[in-house]
Amino acid sequence: MDGQLKRGLLDVCVLAAIKNEDSYGYKIIKDMKPYVVLSESTLYTILKRLELANMLTVRTAEHDGRLRKYYRITQAGICRLEAFREEWREVMAIYQFVTREDEKND
Amino acid sequence: MTKREFIHALRAKLAGLPPKEAWERLDFYTEAIEDRIEEGCSEEEAVAELGSVDEIAAQILADIPLSALVKEKVKPRRRLRAWEIVLLAVGSPIWASLLIAAFAVLISLYAVLWSVIVAIWAVDVSLGACFLGGIAAGVLFFVVGNSVSGLLMIGVGLVSAGLSIFLFFGCLEATKGTLWLTGKIVLGIKRCFVRKEKEDE
Repeated sequence: MDGQLKRGLLDVCVLAAIKNEDSYGYKIIKDMKPYVVLSESTLYTILKRLELANMLTVRTAEHDGRLRKYYRITQAGICRLEAFREEWREVMAIYQFVTREDEKND
Repeated sequence: MTKREFIHALRAKLAGLPPKEAWERLDFYTEAIEDRIEEGCSEEEAVAELGSVDEIAAQILADIPLSALVKEKVKPRRRLRAWEIVLLAVGSPIWASLLIAAFAVLISLYAVLWSVIVAIWAVDVSLGACFLGGIAAGVLFFVVGNSVSGLLMIGVGLVSAGLSIFLFFGCLEATKGTLWLTGKIVLGIKRCFVRKEKEDE
């Protein structure tokens, strides 16, 4: 897959993973695993990028006697997810057109 | 490999990074290992799941912009002492002029390269001008009735046109080659910094 496209997709995947409740690194990776396999270093880069873009906030909390970082989606992050669904409605329409036209020739 | 060994090895690999950046990364990996252990993995399994230290370090280095690496590299490890500052200032007529001379030599070598390119383009353009001039002069000779000179002029003009078109492609390739070389030189300069970073480990 095109690198730029994949990067954008992974960004929204991570946003979706923290949308309903705050989450932490390993849980995000586990939740995404059935759909896309993500390494720790890739996730780190994505989280940093989303934090810089103000799409999520980070807080450190104690868990079981150690520290863990939790990520929470912001309003801007929620808007990004909505925009993504809107964009992909168009992409899916194009996909259906391409598939239909392509199959006509077979 | 235990958690301690993994973090220790990774810390050594990240020695060239800005300290804050390195700490954040190490915390992130520590948390990743601990969460896996909590889930029921053994320590060894948890570390193995993350992948090799070398691969992780390579990916992190690729992520960090060159400017941050250079900044970290040139940052003095300690404050300069007073006598060192005095020596630097007193010696500046010597080292500063040598440094400037070295830069000047490198830049002039690069300028020489480009001036060759400019020169061949100039030859190409003047051949084009010869073509226009030859045709114009030839037409003029025909108008005044000197058809032999007219033919000669038009011939010269057409030969110039041919050479000009021929040379055009040569010029294009030479320019492309020089641009390519420029890219290679820039890449080489970048690599110098990165390599120095790695030697520090």
